[in-house]
Amino acid sequence: MDAFLSALEGTAVAQALRVSRWGYAAVNGAHVFGIALLVGAMVPLNLRAFGAWQSIPRQVLLRVLVPVAAVGLALAVVAGLLLFSVRAREYAGIGFLQMKLALVAAGTLSALALHRAHGFLLETASDRRLVRHAVISMVCWPGALICGRLIAFAGD
Amino acid sequence: MTRRMLAVLLAVALVCQGGVALGHHGWSWTTGSNIELVGVIKTARLGNPHGILEVEVGGEVWSAEVGQPWRNERAGLKDGDLAEGVEIRLIGEPSADPNEKRMKVERLYLGDREFILYPDRD
Repeated sequence: MDAFLSALEGTAVAQALRVSRWGYAAVNGAHVFGIALLVGAMVPLNLRAFGAWQSIPRQVLLRVLVPVAAVGLALAVVAGLLLFSVRAREYAGIGFLQMKLALVAAGTLSALALHRAHGFLLETASDRRLVRHAVISMVCWPGALICGRLIAFAGD
Repeated sequence: MTRRMLAVLLAVALVCQGGVALGHHGWSWTTGSNIELVGVIKTARLGNPHGILEVEVGGEVWSAEVGQPWRNERAGLKDGDLAEGVEIRLIGEPSADPNEKRMKVERLYLGDREFILYPDRD
């Protein structure tokens, strides 16, 4: 594990980011933008599952917000990996980061399982199944955001 | 499935611990007035997002937060200036928590060379 983390820190892109002012700022911004898209899409989608906006067909919301969330997740993961690579060995030991990664993994796997079983627009999912997933989603995504932010405040 | 996932998360949370030397944004965590430290650099970890020096000051080890690369460079510091074994004088604000041996550096001296990281601060 330590060898892998060291190798990550030694990559050309990690070395460049470590000393670059605007490159690092841009990746940082991209990470936040990805999180904004992801959480911004998932919260209304989950609220719909909890019973909000009943007059809006679920499929309509899904068609818009699922791709937005997926793109946001991909952007946040790629940018996040780049930020991590700058100080991989140090960051790997941070409790809130480990917690955040567990939440991201749980949220991603749970979403993949749901869509795999019930399709892109979740046509065959029962309301109960959707509510159950929305609970997991509301724990995972806002939880990951909070854990991520806490790294800067509660470390050490 | 839900219950199992929550159990896994709880287990991760219990295993998780802090204990890593992270840098800080801003000045909200410092006392608001400067102190001076003179010591020898034990380790230097420079680069984004924060540069941190471990400095031995009279038998105590302080964490001194210096700038990001662009700030250090703007102050005139070169690669290798902040290295292990170098004697350094630091002016900056210490942590408001007196148990924490940590300071955010405003300017520093290597010999009689002055390097100002935050020109707008006293």
